[in-house]
Amino acid sequence: MATVTLSNVVKRFGAFEVVHGANIDIKDGEFVVFVGPSGCGKSTLLRMIAGLEDISGGEIAIGGKLVNDVEPADRGIAMVFQSYALYPHMSVEQNLSFGLRMTGNPKADTDRRVKRAAEILRISELMDRRPKKLSGGQRQRVAIGRAIVREPQVFLFDEPLSNLDAELRVQMRVEISRLHKELGATMIYVTHDQTEAMTLADRIVVLRAGHIEQIGRPLDLYDDPDNLFVAGFVGSPKMNFIKAQIIGHDAGGVVVELAGQEKTRITQPLAGAAPETGSKVIVGVRPEHFGSAGEGDTDLVVTIDVVEHLGGTSFLYARTAHGEDVVIQRDAAKVPTTPEVTVSIRKSYLFDEKGLRLR
Amino acid sequence: MRNRNATAYRFLAPYLLIFSVFWVWPIISSFLISFQATRTVPWRFAPGFNWGRLIGDPAFFNALQNTLLILVIQVPVMIALAMVMAVLLNSPLLKAKGLYRFAFFAPVVVGEVAYSAVFRLMFSLDFGIVNKLLNSVGLPKIDWFSNVTPAMALIMIAVTWRWAGYNAIILLAGMQSIPEDVYEAATLDRVSKLKQFFYITLPLLKPVIVFCLVLSIIGTMQLFTEPFLITERGGPGGGTETLGLLLYRQGFRSLNFGYASAVAYTMAALAIVITLVQLWLTREKQ
Repeated sequence: MATVTLSNVVKRFGAFEVVHGANIDIKDGEFVVFVGPSGCGKSTLLRMIAGLEDISGGEIAIGGKLVNDVEPADRGIAMVFQSYALYPHMSVEQNLSFGLRMTGNPKADTDRRVKRAAEILRISELMDRRPKKLSGGQRQRVAIGRAIVREPQVFLFDEPLSNLDAELRVQMRVEISRLHKELGATMIYVTHDQTEAMTLADRIVVLRAGHIEQIGRPLDLYDDPDNLFVAGFVGSPKMNFIKAQIIGHDAGGVVVELAGQEKTRITQPLAGAAPETGSKVIVGVRPEHFGSAGEGDTDLVVTIDVVEHLGGTSFLYARTAHGEDVVIQRDAAKVPTTPEVTVSIRKSYLFDEKGLRLR
Repeated sequence: MRNRNATAYRFLAPYLLIFSVFWVWPIISSFLISFQATRTVPWRFAPGFNWGRLIGDPAFFNALQNTLLILVIQVPVMIALAMVMAVLLNSPLLKAKGLYRFAFFAPVVVGEVAYSAVFRLMFSLDFGIVNKLLNSVGLPKIDWFSNVTPAMALIMIAVTWRWAGYNAIILLAGMQSIPEDVYEAATLDRVSKLKQFFYITLPLLKPVIVFCLVLSIIGTMQLFTEPFLITERGGPGGGTETLGLLLYRQGFRSLNFGYASAVAYTMAALAIVITLVQLWLTREKQ
């Protein structure tokens, strides 16, 4: 187990900079998830920690030791690849023991580690099979097993569940969570799936275009996003964004009017400097923060296009009078029957024109 | 459905006709000819005539021995060399890869007569660059064309030069199909590059290597151009005569088509047997 510290880490491919000075402090035994859309640099960041990519600037320390020029095998890390990267011509047992055998580790110790990993991952009965004879989930377990036998200080996971079907993904998510508790090791996990990030992480690092947008605990990101991107990325269905304008200030804060809807006004308390009257802003509302008419700060008339029934909950896909799409979460029993319905906004977030949160 | 099949066969008919007349029939016909005495007029059916001669013919055994010798020495050396070339081409350290790929593959597209003429010049006793190079490092000249061992070596060098690059490109394609992350996983497992080659690259390339070996075995069993053009019809004194050359000599110089057919079928049978043995030896064990 070890801490991992990234200080001003930069990655350039030729003249093109893909990671722009990342600073992250990962605590001993912490489960940190790097999340972001494709091409945001999350895998590159992980590969730089692993030593599979050189870093163009900054410093990476593992367990307090600078590892910029340390070989991947000497960094005390193990990595689980998206494609599993199993050796196809070897049995499961050989896959698990290959690295240890090649480096002359004593046979008794190799056998002990392989047996322990197989028991932890419940793959003891698969030891003689080749990867092509395994299901996706079993292959993923073997890939994780190969990481476990190295007894690393830090586990790195590069989108390990993206090749699995939805059901297996949920199952493996739980397994990885259990593994983290059992091993207590520091784990860094890369995914583009915010649900995976929310369910697995102690802390989430949200990345966009090589920049860290926000670092925080899952619910902190959900309840208190720093900007429009994080607000939109974390949560499913995503937060609704409605154009608005500041029309004044009163004792309660700034008064905001939704675009094209004169009577729909929200008063937001702001601790920081409030933008001037007339400034354009964006109001963010999570689907579950819409209530029935009269329940919240203000009412809003929407036209429902589609209703998605998920059992206990339903999602209403609707449009405001100004033509903006919104998704509203409702209890299945409270789904309106008319296409036009008045909803209230119970809680909202305010963002400036640049997408930064106004608090 | 029957109508549709009939229409399809009508479209295929011209091809099938030509294929049958110029491909299938000669194969059958030559098999039948191998059972006939063809140096009499008219030809007569004599089942043991050609096949019996084959068993006791020193020229046949000389050609067979030469062919197998080339097969046993040249094919493994060429595949090993092709592997080295493929590893070089696959190396991220190598610059101007396109140029090397072209250079390695170029011998295949060079005309056989042209390359044979160049080889004759290069290995010429008095004017050849090879002997000049040998001399320059203090080694004696070699008469490549008058002695059997150098002549055989020359044939092997020529065939290797011509086909090593071709095999290297096939092996390179195989290498490039091995996922990079398998090597990355091995790197993280502290497995050295050399061990990665022997424990990952070679086992994963096995089907491609077997493919190259089978192609090379078939090619060598039919070897004709090099001993015909470079060592002048299998010279010196039949020292480089291969089965392909013996077949040509019997069929088109002595007009003994029956015996040539028997030799042809022996060549094909040997190629099949050797290939089957090799496939069996390199089969994937469960």
